[in-house]
Amino acid sequence: MALGGASAGSSSLEERQWRLPSLSSLQLWALVASLIAVIPLVGILVSALSGQGADIPPRDLLRYGWTSAWLALLVGVGTAVLGSVAAWLMVMYRFPGRTFFSWSLALPLAAPGFALAYAYTDLLGSAGDLRIWMRAALGFDLPFEIRSTGGAAFVLSCAFYPYVYLAMRTAFLGQSVSALEAARLLGCSQLEAFRRAALPLARPALAAGVALAVMETLADYGAVQFLAVQTLTTGVVRAWSVFGTIAGAAQLALPLLLAAAALLWVERNARTGRSHDSARVQPRPLPVSTLRGFRAAAATFFCAGLLTTALLLPFAWLIHNALDHEPDIRRLIDAAGHSLTMGIGGAVVTTALALLLALGATRAPKLARIASLGYATPGAAIAIGLLMPAAAVWQIVPMASTFWVGIGLLVYAYAARLMAAALEPIDAGLARVTPSMVWASRTLGRTEAGAAWFVQVPVARGALLTAALIVFVDILKELPATLILRPFDFDTLAVIANNYALDERLGQAGWPSVLIIVLALPPTIWLSRKIAVSRPGS
Amino acid sequence: MKMISLSAIAISTFLLAACWNGADDTADGAGAGEVNLYTARHYDSDLELYERFTRETGITINRVDGNADQLIARMRSEGERSPADLFITADAGALWRAEEAGVLQPVRSNLLSERVPANLREPSGNWYGFTRRARVVAYNPERVQADEVDSYEDLASPRFRDRLCVRSSDNIYNLSLVGALIEAWGAERTEEWARGIVANMARQPEGGDRDQIRAVGAEICDVAITNSYYFIRMENGEDEGDREIAGQLELAFPSLGGAGSHVNISGGGVAANAPNRENAIRLLEFFASPEVQQHFARNNNEFPASPAVSAPAPVDSYIDFEAHPMAVSAFAEHQPEAQAIMSRVGWR
Repeated sequence: MALGGASAGSSSLEERQWRLPSLSSLQLWALVASLIAVIPLVGILVSALSGQGADIPPRDLLRYGWTSAWLALLVGVGTAVLGSVAAWLMVMYRFPGRTFFSWSLALPLAAPGFALAYAYTDLLGSAGDLRIWMRAALGFDLPFEIRSTGGAAFVLSCAFYPYVYLAMRTAFLGQSVSALEAARLLGCSQLEAFRRAALPLARPALAAGVALAVMETLADYGAVQFLAVQTLTTGVVRAWSVFGTIAGAAQLALPLLLAAAALLWVERNARTGRSHDSARVQPRPLPVSTLRGFRAAAATFFCAGLLTTALLLPFAWLIHNALDHEPDIRRLIDAAGHSLTMGIGGAVVTTALALLLALGATRAPKLARIASLGYATPGAAIAIGLLMPAAAVWQIVPMASTFWVGIGLLVYAYAARLMAAALEPIDAGLARVTPSMVWASRTLGRTEAGAAWFVQVPVARGALLTAALIVFVDILKELPATLILRPFDFDTLAVIANNYALDERLGQAGWPSVLIIVLALPPTIWLSRKIAVSRPGS
Repeated sequence: MKMISLSAIAISTFLLAACWNGADDTADGAGAGEVNLYTARHYDSDLELYERFTRETGITINRVDGNADQLIARMRSEGERSPADLFITADAGALWRAEEAGVLQPVRSNLLSERVPANLREPSGNWYGFTRRARVVAYNPERVQADEVDSYEDLASPRFRDRLCVRSSDNIYNLSLVGALIEAWGAERTEEWARGIVANMARQPEGGDRDQIRAVGAEICDVAITNSYYFIRMENGEDEGDREIAGQLELAFPSLGGAGSHVNISGGGVAANAPNRENAIRLLEFFASPEVQQHFARNNNEFPASPAVSAPAPVDSYIDFEAHPMAVSAFAEHQPEAQAIMSRVGWR
């Protein structure tokens, strides 16, 4: 998504290049990369057209659609508010614990949504130990149900607000001091300056963060089902499982794909304001003010509460439950090894492909946007889409379904599914390379690919690492593709957690869930700390 | 260059992954061969069985597990070159779907015919059951008398208005139960029953069977429809809270038309294109052997498929229930109709 950045200052040289009839090698690679991401979507389309729909009453379908939309809206608003407020506090104020919170508030990124759902249903479920005790000992009950649309919005907002937080913190750190000063000079309070100057300027980042959160919500497989919220994903699963019609399941995935396309379009439009952060502005330190008394306590309380709700409490509860059960250590280590190797391998391949796409598609951003749709495709549906290319491989490759074919398909699936997550930061990184830098190197005799490799890639190096780490964390949590494509005797931590949860053994599901969080923590911490020092000139 | 070092990391991690699994690949030729198992049962105790089978026969088991429908879809996509030898899953409904999808083949074996009762297998040999589970009722004995829940009809009676907990309609255990009612009563009467169930729900369906039992313990409802082994597991399991709750409740085995409780199976069938067909049959026979039926009962609290196999603790205290003799293949095919009925009456 959002690959227009580099083409902002079009020159006559660029115009000439544009008219060349043949594809350059970079564009060709970009085409290959986008094909990889698009094939599963084609698979879904082909499946949808291939047969009868499921016999699901329209009344139910409407309800599923309505719930999906409502949930997406709630999570969108929830993540936008939590992420923006946290980011603004971090960047603009000093208060007790700020240094710690500035990186730790991104950590819930490490926790899979389904693990949060296990923990919270167990902790706050109406028939859970806590509430049984409350009713008996205290004589009152909590006034809400965790297994509800509101409960799901709460859990998913906890899981996905870091997308907004990270994006907004980067945006606020990079904002122009002059705009804030102008707002204050014109009589705005600090709060008004935030609302009327900083927030509008950070709109592209907000849109990007919220788009990721909402796409993850639409694609969610485990958490929503576990929370007994019936969304379009329920329809997909019902059509497939009960009515045995894969075509019907694929048809139900189409509205979700449309929604994803609409989101990407909105996100893209929001980005037209991107040229606000001009490279020519001399960076000056932000006017950070120190909070005291009640305000300082409130800021600390907000951050501590957010971190506790989104990570510490559910994490502690999972560990508490897991302690009752003897872990199968050998199996967990095996699975952790698989999660880790697939995470690293998948991250490198996905990042490389996303880089090719970002470099080559600067003049055809639509290509990149289509490639991002896989990210918002519901898990059950992406499995349908992936079976089409997989079937071709299984039919053609002579040693079909051996270990390496399985691994290859899995890496392919990760790349197809998570391309958007990698494209986002890479694109932002490449936007820092001005067209004049590229053309300077072209004038000095570099080919287009050479300029990309020796000028654009080094500048975007940090962004590449960011992309790889995000994909790595996502792969640790990935379920649907891993479930359907993995080779023999190849369990990942997410698969084991899912198996236990399906069997209603939440205690045992705790160990693999906790291990996923532990593996995902170091890269998440690194990512978060890196952003803290990203302000130009600091 | 960073990219190059990253690639190096990628390649070396893949090689590491290969070592992790490669050992099995190279050992293929050595023993009595291998068998490729696609399983939708993923209980830890099953893993012990696989090791035991390998010890006893020298046949290596390669396993991939997942949900039944995804495994079936994968077998279909793999087509004639599918490495799958044996497909096993819980619930006759899922086995029927595999049969319908054409991914199974009929096999005959004296051992299987001997070990698996006729009503717990598919007549032409496409699949065989090796454990039984009953879909029954957990109730609060302080509020409900045992004779109030001795038939499935009772559950739909107005007596239980707003007092019943049950999970969602697309759950395969519910689909199979309603399928059995369709087989026994016909669609019209079943729809009437389902309407009564929806009217009796104390809350919209949420969670799994264990959650329904806990809800009875929490007095959110008085009766819950559940599979037998969840209750027995809670009663005898590691979780203290679960044990306490199950200890206060009773398990009733309602009867269908006076002929016994609805019984379902875990079972398996040989894959249509099995490259190791003989080994697959051997593994199936192994699962159906008396010792392994007992192993399932001991570890997963299911009932042995064959009445001739004695049940170990703790399921022995429930084994004397009357099981309906309906062929499991008969209700499996009513699934789509069951879902349509439940959707019509508003069973979410």
